[in-house]
Amino acid sequence: MKSTFRIAVLAAAAAVAVPGFAQQPNPLDNVPDKMPFDTPYGAPIPLDRAEAAIAAAVAEAKKRDWKMNVSVVDSGGNLVAFQRMDGAQLASVKISMHKARAAAQFRRETKAFENGIQSGLNYLITLDGIIGSRGGIPLMDGGKLVGAIGCSGGTGSQDEVSCKAGAAAVNR
Amino acid sequence: MKTRPQLTLDDCLKISAAAEAEARRNNWIVAIAILDDGGHLLHFARMDGATPANAGIALEKGRTAAISRRSSGKWEEFVKGGRTSMIKMPGILPVQGGLPIVVDKVCVGSVGVSGVQSHEDEQIAQAGIDALQKG
Repeated sequence: MKSTFRIAVLAAAAAVAVPGFAQQPNPLDNVPDKMPFDTPYGAPIPLDRAEAAIAAAVAEAKKRDWKMNVSVVDSGGNLVAFQRMDGAQLASVKISMHKARAAAQFRRETKAFENGIQSGLNYLITLDGIIGSRGGIPLMDGGKLVGAIGCSGGTGSQDEVSCKAGAAAVNR
Repeated sequence: MKTRPQLTLDDCLKISAAAEAEARRNNWIVAIAILDDGGHLLHFARMDGATPANAGIALEKGRTAAISRRSSGKWEEFVKGGRTSMIKMPGILPVQGGLPIVVDKVCVGSVGVSGVQSHEDEQIAQAGIDALQKG
């Protein structure tokens, strides 16, 4: 008797839930005309420019007494240069690399993932190589992506400020 | 409480610049990694044309030297001397080119280099360490 009652309740719940679900269109069903973040890949960033980006990011962090780990990867997502500031936390060695690599390989700022996950797009965390935290920014040269910079050590917002200083120093 | 010397970012910039200069003098293209005494990366530079593989190898040679307090070349000698089981040592890459940085008889970190012949990699690493110790 009990189980029959449960089934009846479940059936009633389903009857309510299904029409409610059908009324809300899934935003992911939308098919845009153009590809998002359709940036062409360029040649790998040279070491001197990678180091210039890191120097600018480190200078910005130093000015504010933040301790950052800063990575720059090339257009293939491979590490080109890295610096750990005195007193920066160890976990951020790999996080800074991950942010840089994700920004290069997905051709967008890692903040895009943070925003997406925060807005409820949980499927994003199932994608390979994602990192849901700001502080990874593509490096550009003449409209092409030549690499990316990743900063980690503070809050995401602090990481991003350092990163932007680095990117601004070399983007053209 | 015991205290010990620690590498700063400025030290790393000095080591890396000297190592890179040594490579350039010889027309060698390499990746240079500097790590602390726990085997954690402090500074890294991959010269234009060095491969992504060089990046990983330089890091692993450096880690080997940092956590074992001896050159990765020493581990290569063990293996070449017949102790093939040393290949399976955890965290050890038994290939010459990684050197510990010793200050006041304490290992404060390491330099790992990859890109040319292993003894040349080590020469580059040594040039970086020499620059630090000259002050």
